[in-house]
Amino acid sequence: MKKSHENNYAIYLLTDDLLHIIYKKVPCINLKAAQLIVKDRMELQEGKPMPVLCDIREVRNIDKAARDYLALDGSLWVEKLAFLIDPPVTDMISSIYLDTHAQKVPTQSFTNKPEAMDYLGVKEKDNN
Amino acid sequence: MPNSDDFRVKRIQKMLLEMAKGNFFYTIEPSDKNDNIASLVVMLNMVNEEIGAAFIHQGFANAHNTPQCVVQLSFILDGNGQIELLTNGTCSLMSYLPKDLIGKHITAFMTEKSVERWTKKMTKYLKRERSETVLFLEFVTNDGLLLAKDCQISVYQALDGSGQKIHLNSVFFSKGEPFETSLPKKKLKVTKGIKEHKVTLTPDDIQIIRDVHDMITNNLDKDLPTLKDLARQKGTNEYKLKYGFKQIYGTTIFRFLIRERLRMAKTLIQHSTLTIKQIIQMTGFKSKTHFSRAFKEKYGMSPSDLRA
Repeated sequence: MKKSHENNYAIYLLTDDLLHIIYKKVPCINLKAAQLIVKDRMELQEGKPMPVLCDIREVRNIDKAARDYLALDGSLWVEKLAFLIDPPVTDMISSIYLDTHAQKVPTQSFTNKPEAMDYLGVKEKDNN
Repeated sequence: MPNSDDFRVKRIQKMLLEMAKGNFFYTIEPSDKNDNIASLVVMLNMVNEEIGAAFIHQGFANAHNTPQCVVQLSFILDGNGQIELLTNGTCSLMSYLPKDLIGKHITAFMTEKSVERWTKKMTKYLKRERSETVLFLEFVTNDGLLLAKDCQISVYQALDGSGQKIHLNSVFFSKGEPFETSLPKKKLKVTKGIKEHKVTLTPDDIQIIRDVHDMITNNLDKDLPTLKDLARQKGTNEYKLKYGFKQIYGTTIFRFLIRERLRMAKTLIQHSTLTIKQIIQMTGFKSKTHFSRAFKEKYGMSPSDLRA
């Protein structure tokens, strides 16, 4: 099974054992954006809990309302979460987010994709 | 040179100074860059939001004496958007003198994005005789910091026949001067009853209570142990846990649990295809009646209405 989806803020690639979300380059992720990101993700997953690889390398700004929403409402059906980051900016964003919000889901940040996939326990099949 | 490191560091210093004064409503415009200064800017903006939120939520720290005041950003503009009148608070927020602002066009003090939004929306609203809306606008202060906020905008007709006017308004919370010097009266009380339960919380106690908060958030489907057991598990006592939680989060543990369960149920109802029955089980509710009643009370509609 392979599905993909795209909205204004992110691209979703769904395979049997992984959901890969790539955040697009937008000026700011606000609450409205976060709600759409979560809604589309949940609709795509159809209730199946899975590991998620979240590529936030293009993110430059995410406001508090969005962070709170993602941490509280945004974690349903996420088994394990890996952030793909590009220091220093997204490294900082992920560290502050992880430190200030209690995580329901085991989460770690990585600068390279194979390590992230390894953490999620997913074998890489394609090379994007 | 707005992009030189020197310039960017100066902005950061300005922002830190404002934070030191207790003004958490400024932000620094983030850049597209991915360097150390950019990451520092991002960090500062995020930390600023976190502290600001904790500050406004008075119960977070030992808040008995937290002075808090409201600073109003308020303009009256003519139909073209020229500034006619503003409050003193507005001047100090924007770090301009009144004479620098009066007579100027409001868009001269906005970011490009906001000018675009303003122009687009206001053409529509100004066509009506009266209208009211909320617009998210970013103002640029004299120091180059951003003031970003939802602004209430009302278009009205002046009584003296001078035509259409625009009233632009927003409020910010600031540390500033306290409202009153005497003991604050209606601050966050621990109980509604006659007796005021006040607990002195050490940093360790606060950490324990935060842990309990996080534990509840992460185990919404499970039954909550009795407060006594919970306190014992965490190495504190029931009294501290009970009243300390209320002091910090402004609600009782039980109400908090229900609130978070309802929040999860709402997300599931909106974005999943699970049946209401399944959702009730997943969110730890014991009875459908109780769930439906609590849900309707909180969100103003029944679970099935939200689904439909």
